[in-house]
Amino acid sequence: MRPVPRLLLLMVLAVAVPADAKTTVIDDSGTLPYDAPLVLHWEQLSPRRPVNNRMTGTLTVRVKLHVAPWLRRRGRIHLVLPAQQPGAMNASWSTQGRLLAGRVSSGSRSLVYSGLITTPFIEDVLQLTLEVDGTQLRQLYHVNFRFEMDEE
Amino acid sequence: MSPLRRDTYPRLGGAGLHNARRLARLVLCAALLAPVPDTVCAFTITISNGPPKTVYLQVGVGGFIGQYNTGGTPANNATVNQESVSVAAAAVGNGTAQAMTTDSTVGASSYDGFVRCNVPAQLYIGGFYRTPGLGATGSATVTAIVPAVLVDTGGDTLSFAQISWTTGGNGDSGAEPFPAGTFSAGVVQTVGSIAQNQWAESCWTFSYSNTTFPAAGTYAGRVLYTLAAP
Repeated sequence: MRPVPRLLLLMVLAVAVPADAKTTVIDDSGTLPYDAPLVLHWEQLSPRRPVNNRMTGTLTVRVKLHVAPWLRRRGRIHLVLPAQQPGAMNASWSTQGRLLAGRVSSGSRSLVYSGLITTPFIEDVLQLTLEVDGTQLRQLYHVNFRFEMDEE
Repeated sequence: MSPLRRDTYPRLGGAGLHNARRLARLVLCAALLAPVPDTVCAFTITISNGPPKTVYLQVGVGGFIGQYNTGGTPANNATVNQESVSVAAAAVGNGTAQAMTTDSTVGASSYDGFVRCNVPAQLYIGGFYRTPGLGATGSATVTAIVPAVLVDTGGDTLSFAQISWTTGGNGDSGAEPFPAGTFSAGVVQTVGSIAQNQWAESCWTFSYSNTTFPAAGTYAGRVLYTLAAP
């Protein structure tokens, strides 16, 4: 690789992450269950027209976010549903108030907290509903979520 | 790096300087990419195509509570409907097919209530097949377990192959999911199919071919229809 293109590559990488925005994945290893099985069922049992092939399921997730690194600082926490198999998905959740309820589609994220971090851990209980295109389900899938911290 | 490239773009400085620059570049790239690492910390939900496949079949009177398009739900119904015909003595064996009629009162589709079949001339057959995974497992198949013969109280018999049916209902167009046919005596025969995640229905009109001279009597036999998902 020539020296000049190498510099350009570094510049491109540099501009991709603005200097004032720092996003960090939050340690949520205290979340239970951490690898939860979810039973899906048809949203529409019989295939009425227009045919709705979505499958959905709801489970309870006890979220525990380790936010000690940002203690006494302001931050914005997002729940991320990365684009992954089995394709397009939607997740929605209700909370007990510590975090914000919301909805997210695969490949995007949704704000669940904004403000001062006052405790080492943020905990809440989410009723998480996942919606998947049933025609895409061919095997067992591990759907990954993550929480991201945007420091203000 | 090929010898040609090495000759064309000679490095500035010695190998040590090159390695230091390379290390610095890697560190810089790592620092730039580090803010959003891979899903090291991420809870996971395991989903599968575990929910059981769902099938529903109705031949004649069914068990659906309500209608599909108004949130109805499938249920069981133990009713066994009859198709019958009385052949006048003068007409027995004359080769003129005799139309049969059903005791089923169901002409309306359980799908949306549309009057698909004209009772008692037509027998309603309909159902659906629900399965995850498009195109992975084919269609659900409806088979008929056909006895060899119909029997009267005196033990006289009449072949089931004497009975045929045509298909079609009000407002139908295109191929029917449950096509016309003739019973194959004493075998299990396929009488239709339902594609994945679809509702299918037809109306059957049965007839007795009337080409034999059986002894006088009332002949009866039962055909069992089964919907099987792969």
